[in-house]
Amino acid sequence: MAKTSHEIRDPIHVFIRLDSQERKVLDSRPFQRLRYIHQLALTYLLYPGATHRRFEHSLGVMELASRVFDIVTDPAKVSDAVKELFPPINSEDERRYWRRVLRMAALCHDIGHLPFSHAAEEELFPPGWDHERMTMELIQSDEMKEIWENARPPLSSEDIVKLALGPKKAKELQFDDWETMLSEIIVGDSFGVDRMDYLLRDSYHAGVAYGRFDHHRLIDTLRILPPPLYPYGNQLDNSKEPSLGVEKGGIHSAEALLLARYFMFTQVYCHHVRRIYDIHLKDFLIDWLGETKYPTDIDAFLKLTDNEITSDLRDACLDAERPGHIHADRIINRKHFKLLYTRNPTDFKINSDAANLVKEAAVKEYGEDKVRLDGYSKKGGITDFPVLSDDGKTVLSALQESQVLAKIPSVVVNYVFVDPNIRDEALRWFNKGKAQIITPQKEEQK
Amino acid sequence: MKRSQQRVVILQLIMALKENNSWCGETHIQKAAYCLQELMKVDTDFDFILYKHGPYSFDLCDELAAMRADELLAIKLNTFPYGPSLRVANLGKEMVERFPKTICQYKDRVDFIARKIGAKGVAQLERLATALYVTSKSEHDTVDERAKRIHDLKPHVSFDNAQIAVEEIDAMKRESANIV
Repeated sequence: MAKTSHEIRDPIHVFIRLDSQERKVLDSRPFQRLRYIHQLALTYLLYPGATHRRFEHSLGVMELASRVFDIVTDPAKVSDAVKELFPPINSEDERRYWRRVLRMAALCHDIGHLPFSHAAEEELFPPGWDHERMTMELIQSDEMKEIWENARPPLSSEDIVKLALGPKKAKELQFDDWETMLSEIIVGDSFGVDRMDYLLRDSYHAGVAYGRFDHHRLIDTLRILPPPLYPYGNQLDNSKEPSLGVEKGGIHSAEALLLARYFMFTQVYCHHVRRIYDIHLKDFLIDWLGETKYPTDIDAFLKLTDNEITSDLRDACLDAERPGHIHADRIINRKHFKLLYTRNPTDFKINSDAANLVKEAAVKEYGEDKVRLDGYSKKGGITDFPVLSDDGKTVLSALQESQVLAKIPSVVVNYVFVDPNIRDEALRWFNKGKAQIITPQKEEQK
Repeated sequence: MKRSQQRVVILQLIMALKENNSWCGETHIQKAAYCLQELMKVDTDFDFILYKHGPYSFDLCDELAAMRADELLAIKLNTFPYGPSLRVANLGKEMVERFPKTICQYKDRVDFIARKIGAKGVAQLERLATALYVTSKSEHDTVDERAKRIHDLKPHVSFDNAQIAVEEIDAMKRESANIV
């Protein structure tokens, strides 16, 4: 008898189980390609263990997504008001359908990534394209549609796209509140399992402990909740639209998740050497592509992985005639640009745009090819979510319940890098003229 | 609009909302910014979609986070049962002072929106902004058609409340015609 259930060993979740329909996705070309896409691009040049791929991350996201789904849609854990707004919770068949859609979406949420993941999509894809659009194209490709149509029950590729990308990235699709809530399970800002898995997995492979948190406890306490009721004038006035929140007992695990995110961003993802390698890689890829952009034709896209780029990167490093030689040399021979300027509390109180001004002044002094600017600012709004109090009825705000959430700083980095050959001279130049460079100007009146 | 000007308009809007007794939570600011862009044609260039509690811009959400990180805005926590709100911090006030031309250019339109919606709560804003969203997509539909569309999109908004919101948006559109 053919095997219908399959197990995969995983260092984070121990066993990941999937059925034969999900196995077809696993065996598909778009998913197998993820075996050759590094999760953290060139981060392995700093953290040598960080060589893990999007393949295992996507399996982990599927595993966590269904764990969350099983908890939050368990009818015993959902209030009558929420059941009324989300009828699929009341139907066994509908729950089964959406659980399967969610797992497929989780598997496929990263299949449109370029080689080396996030590196510089805007410059490398043709206008109007990004990895989310590529993901959408792949989910709706003939090859994948055949899998969706042969599933029992058949699955809508549009439903899979919606949950894989969420309303932020699938802007042209109309989401109802149920679909919005389900997409939050994968891509949500507070409790998205994409983030949960990458924090746990990246920290494990990078060999740092910052990304760890008690995800078992957190998932066990997740609930679909209406927003807290705030008084407005003499009335309680708030939307009744539910979203993912936690039972009060889970709030410390939620804090730990958000702290893990903060530490991973400051210590790993925004490490200045990782950031400059990403920039050199982007510079190399622009030269390597020449007049063209990454292909969006599905067959051509699927052929390109980190392996092909790495091989060409090494060849370009050895041959000064090859496009991108200078950037390949910087990466392979570790001659990356060095820091000239980092955003700091003193300067941004004078001018929040200081890094940009330093970059412009340095370019004027040394030329475009000797200077690089980099910036990252934490995305997403105020971290607040509903919290179910111990009485099981009152819904509170996480920001009011937690002593920690409001105090977690936002991650913002701005770096200006310069060619290592001019760095000492550039530092002297900058220290001499700094005050003049960063002083803000008043807008001219006309 | 340059990013610095975009930030100044957001700061200006938050200050005007505060003057008109707005709670200035993130949802209030999102809906006010949507009305400013869609109704008053201030080209802040945020991309709004229909999301939680009505039209919502992830770009604006990210920009508000960046402005907090740059200490232009600060979160004010309030004791239960009052929710968190955003206020313009000292660096934000200093930034506004450096952009007199931008402030002057958008003052009438910002003040109009703040006056009209400053005192409204989240549920009212959700209905009103969704009514504006639906109206912008189907301007020639009747009040009832648009109200039904709102109720279909947001089942927790009753048809009657949706009707009131559509009528209010139509009135605001007429009134704002002189300013835009």
